[in-house]
Amino acid sequence: MIKLSGLRLAFDSGFRLEVESLRIREGEVFAIIGPNGAGKTTLLNAMALLNKPAAGTLEIMGRDALAAANKLPLRRAMAAVLSQPYLLNDTVFNNVALPLRLRGLRDAAAVDAALELLRIAHLKERNAKTLSQGESHRAVLARAFVTRPKLLLLDEPFAALDERVKDSIARDLRKVIKTSGAAVVLVTQDQAGALTLADKLAVLVNGRILQQGEPQEIFSRPASKEVADFVGVETILPGRVAANSENLCSVEAGGRTLMAVSSCGAGDSVFFCLRPEDVSVSLNADAGGRRNNFKAEVVSVAPWGLEYKVELDCGFTLQAAVTKQLVDGLGLKAGAQVYASFKATAAHLIKREL
Amino acid sequence: MEFILQGFQKALHLILSGNPEIFAIARLSLMVSLAATAFAVLAGVPLGSWIAVKKFPLKKLLIALVNTGMGLPPVVAGLVVMLFLARSGPLGFLNWLYTPKGMIIAQFIIALPIITALSISAMQNVDPKFYNQILALGASDRQAVWICLKEIRLTIVAAVIAGFGRLVAEVGAVMIVGGNIRHQTRMLTTATVMETQMGNFDMAIAIGLVLLALGFIVNLALTVIQQNKVLTR
Repeated sequence: MIKLSGLRLAFDSGFRLEVESLRIREGEVFAIIGPNGAGKTTLLNAMALLNKPAAGTLEIMGRDALAAANKLPLRRAMAAVLSQPYLLNDTVFNNVALPLRLRGLRDAAAVDAALELLRIAHLKERNAKTLSQGESHRAVLARAFVTRPKLLLLDEPFAALDERVKDSIARDLRKVIKTSGAAVVLVTQDQAGALTLADKLAVLVNGRILQQGEPQEIFSRPASKEVADFVGVETILPGRVAANSENLCSVEAGGRTLMAVSSCGAGDSVFFCLRPEDVSVSLNADAGGRRNNFKAEVVSVAPWGLEYKVELDCGFTLQAAVTKQLVDGLGLKAGAQVYASFKATAAHLIKREL
Repeated sequence: MEFILQGFQKALHLILSGNPEIFAIARLSLMVSLAATAFAVLAGVPLGSWIAVKKFPLKKLLIALVNTGMGLPPVVAGLVVMLFLARSGPLGFLNWLYTPKGMIIAQFIIALPIITALSISAMQNVDPKFYNQILALGASDRQAVWICLKEIRLTIVAAVIAGFGRLVAEVGAVMIVGGNIRHQTRMLTTATVMETQMGNFDMAIAIGLVLLALGFIVNLALTVIQQNKVLTR
């Protein structure tokens, strides 16, 4: 659907976007995540043919999109929802009908179907400027789907929505995407939103794609410290592999020996990475078969989404995510003595350049 | 003080009795200024939109020139048009000097920079992201500009009001190009000047009142168009 290589865009501000290669297949939901200012919107706008790359190739639906003198037919084969997806000062119906009218079509049934799909049929006579944030989002998505595009580009589709509205729209959006069979490119800072929708993920930081692949792979096996930082790996310790026996490495880090499953060789300098949800906290020393088990002191306990994040001092600092029941059950509070354990398979080593 | 009151009384009598000369002059004034405004809108709104959205060298200089044109003295516009339309001028063969057509051209030149400049600033106030979003929905450049214009119609109508207001009140250009010829090119403003100079204050006041009324009626109509579909919050 989209093949992109060597794409370069430079701006007066000095910011450069350089994407070596990116491929989005038909029917695939591809999320590009990254922090603010990483170049996500620039990349999406390039795919929407709204800016002009300085170099590179961009193939959309089998056609060379950068060479095409007239970009209108390609633009009309897709739909893009930008980060501020303005609605016109007109009824919801006319707003959703706009892409059809731009193509010289009048198809009230298609408009009604799109409104129905996003569950806003009852709002069609309302002026779009009077809608709530969530309703506006639905109208914007209905407007994008009304032409049944083969490719849909979404820039921060869940920005500025509260959790409940976001969940409900994300659920509907997933259904609509699956039934439409459209390829979707989604750029967002919202990792949870990306995870619920995406088949494939790319992490963009500072104008470069640092890693792309299956979401689970990226979240549990980040390829670099930057990616690990961004995807919520809370414990990142510099260390050195002391020994590797059949891919079971002992790593010297933070003055302790930690076990991790990895193909790194003895003597390698590495970052030892661990996600907070992979750490178990208990009051007794029985690690239940987990190869890493340390006596620890609770440094702090703080709410973290629906769970709590517990900072532990085991000689090195370890972050653990625990449920409220566990915090209450174990009486976790600063100063409490506990045991922290995790599996060698949960840990991940990233080679470190010295 | 007496003569002012008498002037008003006689003026009201002239208007209410339907003085044919006053109404003929009013008709011509309305026709000339509306036509000049219409042509200026047809040329100035697309021109202003084009200048606003396109990137080209010396764009700022061009905008500065257009902005300067907003203050173009009507007598200068009238003089230039007269020189072009004069028998020995480059457009002398048209025989448009001292005709309503000539006056429309002069007033068009006065209104064009006003409507162009206000269209430029209205269009430049449109968020580029809005323009991009419309393109992203499959609009051609022309469709996108049209949709933006519809979104900023309040400001565009304000530009039309400003342009028409300037023209209907303008005296210098139509005096030079039209010549204030009775039954042919006499406008409400030129007639007011003439009647005042001749001491016919009742006629001058009557014409002045008609001029005010005309301005009010046209602006009322434009305002109704403008305020239609405005969302009340």
